[in-house]
Amino acid sequence: MVTQLNAAQTQRDWRPIVQAFELALGPRSVTRRKEELLVYECDGLTSYRQRPAVVVLPRTTEQVAAVVKICDRHNVPFVARGAGTGLSGGALPLADAVLIVTAPMNQILKVDLDNQRVTVQPGVINNWVTQAVSGAGFYYAPDPSSQSVCSVGGNVAENSGGVHCLKYGVTTNHVLGLKLVLPNGDIVEIGGTVPEQPGYDLTGLFVGSEGTLGIVTEITLRILKAPEVISVLLADFTSVEAAGAAVSAVISAGIIPAGMEMMDNFSLNAVEDVVKTDCYPRDADAILLIEIDGLPAEVAASRDRIEALCKANGARQVTVATEPEERLRLWKGRKAAFAAMGKLSPDYYVQDGVIPRTQLPYVLQEIAHLGEKHGYRVANVFHAGDGNLHPLILYNNQVPGELEQVEALGGDILKLCVQVGGSISGEHGIGADKRCYMSEMFSETDLETMQWVRASWNPKGLANPTKIFPTPRTCGEGAKSLTGQELGGKRGEPLEGVERF
Amino acid sequence: MTGLTQQVAAILGISQVVTWEDHSTDPLGQRWPGAISPHTSLPEAIAYPETTAALAELMVCAHKEGWRVLPCGHGSKIAWGCPVQPCDLWVSTHRLNQTIDHAVGDLTLTVAAGAHFQAVQTQLAATGQFLALDPAYDRTATLGGIVATGDAGALRQRYGGVRDQLIGLSLVRYDGQLAKAGGRVVKNVAGYDLMKLMTGAYGTLGILSQLTFRTYPLAEASQTVVMVGGLEVMSDLLAAVRRSSLTPVKLDLLSAQLLQDLDLGEGLGLAAQFQTIAAGVAEQVARLQDLAQPYGVSSQRLEAAAETHFWQGIQQQMHPQPVTPADPAAEPAIVAKVGVKPMEAIALIATLTGPLPTARIRLHGSSGIGWVRVAADALSASDVATLRGHCQDHGGYFTLLEAPIALKQTADPWGLAPDVKRLMGRLKAQFDPQNRLSPGRFGAL
Repeated sequence: MVTQLNAAQTQRDWRPIVQAFELALGPRSVTRRKEELLVYECDGLTSYRQRPAVVVLPRTTEQVAAVVKICDRHNVPFVARGAGTGLSGGALPLADAVLIVTAPMNQILKVDLDNQRVTVQPGVINNWVTQAVSGAGFYYAPDPSSQSVCSVGGNVAENSGGVHCLKYGVTTNHVLGLKLVLPNGDIVEIGGTVPEQPGYDLTGLFVGSEGTLGIVTEITLRILKAPEVISVLLADFTSVEAAGAAVSAVISAGIIPAGMEMMDNFSLNAVEDVVKTDCYPRDADAILLIEIDGLPAEVAASRDRIEALCKANGARQVTVATEPEERLRLWKGRKAAFAAMGKLSPDYYVQDGVIPRTQLPYVLQEIAHLGEKHGYRVANVFHAGDGNLHPLILYNNQVPGELEQVEALGGDILKLCVQVGGSISGEHGIGADKRCYMSEMFSETDLETMQWVRASWNPKGLANPTKIFPTPRTCGEGAKSLTGQELGGKRGEPLEGVERF
Repeated sequence: MTGLTQQVAAILGISQVVTWEDHSTDPLGQRWPGAISPHTSLPEAIAYPETTAALAELMVCAHKEGWRVLPCGHGSKIAWGCPVQPCDLWVSTHRLNQTIDHAVGDLTLTVAAGAHFQAVQTQLAATGQFLALDPAYDRTATLGGIVATGDAGALRQRYGGVRDQLIGLSLVRYDGQLAKAGGRVVKNVAGYDLMKLMTGAYGTLGILSQLTFRTYPLAEASQTVVMVGGLEVMSDLLAAVRRSSLTPVKLDLLSAQLLQDLDLGEGLGLAAQFQTIAAGVAEQVARLQDLAQPYGVSSQRLEAAAETHFWQGIQQQMHPQPVTPADPAAEPAIVAKVGVKPMEAIALIATLTGPLPTARIRLHGSSGIGWVRVAADALSASDVATLRGHCQDHGGYFTLLEAPIALKQTADPWGLAPDVKRLMGRLKAQFDPQNRLSPGRFGAL
C-alpha cells in the first residue's frame, strides 16, 4: 500500500533534517529562504503553485543518495525537479516535502561516437546533447519544443516526445541505461550501453514514471546519424477532413515522414496575426506541415509523391522548402503557435490528448461543440502523424472562475479523447494535472496493478506522492475546493521565452 | 482423469484440456521437457482457454487452489531460460488467437495474445501493412510468446525491439483479475509502461491476454546487399557503414559457417536490407556498393525470391523449425542471445569462431545484439562464464536460452546483475506474491 502524504503541512521539525542536508551537501546547496523558494513554486504548469519546505541542489549521484537517505530516515516525502518546464505539474512541490533539484548536475559524462552512445547527468539540457555530437554528424532525436531549456532528466521522467517522434520515437526509445537513486537512497544501475539486457526491462519501466520510482542521476542515450537532406512541405486545405485524408494517404503510401503537423484555421490566423509569417493562407481550414529526411533521391521522390497525394486529397497549394532558412520560415508559425496564443490573450490553457488519427474530423467537430457549450473558443495544433492533439483555450486568469471553467472544458476534451479510443496524455505526462482523469481510461484493477510497480520500488510512498494516481482525497467528492486551495488559486505567469508545442 | 484436470475441464470444457501424454505427437513437443527441471513431476495437463473470460476464470481457480502455472503460447521457446520449477498446469494461449481490431488507417493492431505470427502477417499484408518483427521460429510463434521473450529479430535495426512496438496490453494477473495498460494509440504516456515490463518477462508477472502493436506500411521496394570479406576488412567496412547516412532496415554480421550454409562464399558476411520507395532503395544500394568498393570485398545484390530465400535461410540455420518429432531440426543445440557494443561485434565473432569455427553467429550491426548457435556439447560452464565475462566487459550480455539441462544447471543461464535481480524480485513479489507463475524462470529472485 502506498502511503498518501499529501496531507496539509504537519508540524514537522525541519531543523534536524535541514542540518543533515547541510552536512551532506554544504549549506549553500540547501535553501529555506522564502524569496529563494519562490522560483520553485511551480513548473511549466503555472496555474498550480506550492512553495516547497526545503530545496536542495545536489551535484553528484552520491549527494542525491545522501539526501534521499535522509528523507527515508525521517519519512519526509520528496519531489524531483529538473529544469521545471514540465506541463503536467509533475515537479509541483508539496508543502511538507523536500524539492530535489537536479539542474546543477549538468555534465555530459561520456561521448562514444563509435558506438553512438552519450552518457549525461540529468540536468543536461536536451539540445546540449545534439550540440555535443553534431560536429561529427550525429544528433539526439527526441526534440520536445522546450528542448533549449528542458533537462534530459525531466525528459526521462515524463517520457517526452516532440515533433519528430512519428519517425524516430519518444524518449523511451532512445534511453539505453540509467543510474538512479531509489526512494530508500540505494544507488542502482539498470539497462546498460546495449539494449535488451537480460531480465525485466527496468529501464523501460522507469522512463515515464514521473519521479515516483526514484531519481535518475546518469542517463545513457542513443544518438543517430543526422540525415543528409531535409525537406518541408506546406499544404493548405479547405477542410479538416481533407487534411486528415492527406495524412492517411501519405502514411498508407509507405512514407513515414519525420514529422507531420496540422494547424486549424483559428491557430493559423492567430499565428499570422502575431508572427506574420505570410506563408499560411488565412482562409484555409487547415494546413499541414510535413517534414521528410534521408538521402537526396529518396527525399526528392517522397516529396513529389507527398505533393501529389496532398493535391489528390484537395490541397489548394503545396509549397516546398529544402534550404534551411526556407524550412525555418515554414516552421516558424507552427513553432510560435503557443506563444502567439499568449499574445492574443492574457492566458492560455494547453491540453494534451491523443486520438486514433482517423477520428480527427469527428473529434475536432466535437471540440468545437464543447467549446461553444463552455463558452470558450478552442484552437487546435496537432501532431497529425501520431494523433497527438494540443487544444489551446484562451482565457483570463484574473477573472475569478475562468480557470476552473477552462479546466472543465479541458477535462471534457480528454474524456472525448478516451471515448474515441485515445489517451489523456501523449507527451506531457499525468503529474498533478490529470490524475483525476486516470479513472476515465483505466479501471480500478488497472490502477491497482500499476500501483504494484510503485509499491515495489517506493514502498513508503516518499517519491513524488500524489502524482499520477487519483485518490479520494485529490479526486473524490469535495476535492475541487481542496485542489483550488492547496494547489491552485494563485495567479500564474507563463514561463518567459519557452516554446511549447 | 485426476482432480486437477477435472477441475480445469469443468471450467473450460473437456475440449480445452489436453493431458500431458496426449502431446507426444506435437512436433514441438520434444522441446517441452527442456522447460522443466529434470527429475521433477510433469504437469498433469495443458489448458487451452479460448476466451479471455475463461482464462481469467481458470486463473481465479488456480489462485484459489494454489496451482503453479506455466503460461505459454505454442511452446516454441518454452525451453528458453532457466528450467522452471515443477508446475501443476500449463496454460496455453494458443487458441486465444482472435484479431480484435485492425485499425488500418491508424496503423494499429489489437489481437488476442495467442495470435499466430504468420497468420497475422498474412492478414496485415492484405492491407499493405506488417508487424516490424522478425522473430525466431516464425512458423509457430505466437505474438504473446514473442512479447514474453522480447524476441524482435533483425528488424530492430530500423524499428526497435518488441518493446518499441507494443503500445497496449491486457493481462490476467496471478489472482485471475484482468488488468490493462497503454492503449490503442501510438503515443501515450498515461500510467506506468507495463508494456515494457511485460516484454521479456517470460510469463513470470501475469498471463498476457491481449496485445496492441503499431503496424507499419509495407515498403514499395526491397533489396539486400551481401558483402563478404576477411575479419579485419569487415570491421572497417562495418564502421564505415555505421558512420554513413544509409538507413538499412536490417544490418547483420554473419559468421563464416552461416555463409557456407547458404553457399555465399568464404569469410565474414555483412548483409544490409533496404526497404523504402524504389528510388530510395536504388540510391541506398548504389551508395553502399560505392562505399564497399575500396575495401575489396565481394558484394552481391539480392532481390525478389532470392532475397526472401536468403533471409529465410539465415533464420532456418539459426532457429531450425521441426516439421515432425523426428525432424533433425529438433536436435538439441546451444542457442545464446548475446549483446556487445556494436563496434565490438566483430571481435566477439572472432573470439567465438577461434575455438568454434562452425559456430553460427548473427549479430545486428546497429544494436550489437544477436544470436549464437553451437552444438549442444560445444560449451562448458566455464566457457559460458568466459564468454559472458567478455560480453559484459563490452557493455553486453551472454544469455543461455537453449542448452542441455545439465549445462543450464551448472552455468547460470542469465547472469543477472545483483541490482537488477533485487529490483526484479521486488516486482515479482508484488505481481506474483506466492511465486506460482513460471516459477524459477529467472532463477531465484
